[in-house]
Amino acid sequence: MKLKRRRRPPPQETIVSLIDVMFFLLVFFMLVGRMDATAPFEVSPPVSTTGETLPKGGTTIAVAQNGTLALNGKAIGRPALLARIADMLAQNPGLFVRINAHAEARLTKLLPLVTALEQAGVGDVVLVVTPNPA
Amino acid sequence: MKLIRRKRNMALITMTPLVDVMMILLVFFMVTSSYLDLDMVPMVQSKSNGGAASTDPAPTLLIRITADGAARLRGQALTLQSLTAALQNQPRARVLILPSGGSNVQGLVSAIEIATKAGAKNLRVVRLEAPE
Repeated sequence: MKLKRRRRPPPQETIVSLIDVMFFLLVFFMLVGRMDATAPFEVSPPVSTTGETLPKGGTTIAVAQNGTLALNGKAIGRPALLARIADMLAQNPGLFVRINAHAEARLTKLLPLVTALEQAGVGDVVLVVTPNPA
Repeated sequence: MKLIRRKRNMALITMTPLVDVMMILLVFFMVTSSYLDLDMVPMVQSKSNGGAASTDPAPTLLIRITADGAARLRGQALTLQSLTAALQNQPRARVLILPSGGSNVQGLVSAIEIATKAGAKNLRVVRLEAPE
C-alpha cells in the first residue's frame, strides 16, 4: 500500500513582527545618530568634561592634525573657506559655526582661524569637544 | 432569481518590498550617522559682554600654555586646587589664557576645563595671530 503524504501548505511566517523590530531599530538609529558630514580626514576631538550640549544644525569646519581644513565634509583651502563663510553669512547673519579640530592640531592652525571668523562677522563659534574619548 | 456574488479572496498586500526598503534605510542610517558623544566649548559669542569686561578694573590671572601643552599659573603647573585657591582670594578676577602657538588643541581645552571647574566667570583666551 502506498501512503500518499498530503501536501500541507507552508506555514505562514509572520513577517509583521520582523517589520516591527526593524522599524524600532530604524527610529532608534535615526534619533541616536548625528547626520553630520564627516571630514575627509581623521578628526578626534579633544576631551573635556565641562562642555555644553552641542546644538544641531550650523556649519562645520574640520581641522586635521596637520592643519588641513574642511567645510561640511569637503576639503577646502583657507581663503576659499573664508569666502564661503562670508557667502553663508550674507544669507544667514546668525550663522552658527562649529570647529571640529583634531586634539593634536596646533593652535596656530586654530586660533587665527577663529579670529578670522570673528572678523568676518560670525557671532557664534564653538569648538567641538567630547566628554568620553572613543 | 437571486445572484449570489462569490466572495473573492482579498488581494494579498505583499510586505516584502516594504521590508526591503526599510532594511536599506536602516543600514543607511547605521552607516552614515556618527555616534560619538559631542559637546562644545564656546569660542566666539555674540551675546557676551566683552566691552564691559575690558573696562572692569578686576585683577587678572594669567594662565600660560607652553609649547608642550602644559598649563602654568604664576610659574607653577596649573591644577584645579591652585586656580581655585587663587580665585578664592580674588573672586572677581579675570582669567586670561595665553596659549603658545606650538601647543595643541587638547592643551587649550584642558586649561579651559580646569578654569571652568574652578568657577572662573570671566574667562578669555588670547588669540595670537600667527604667520601662515
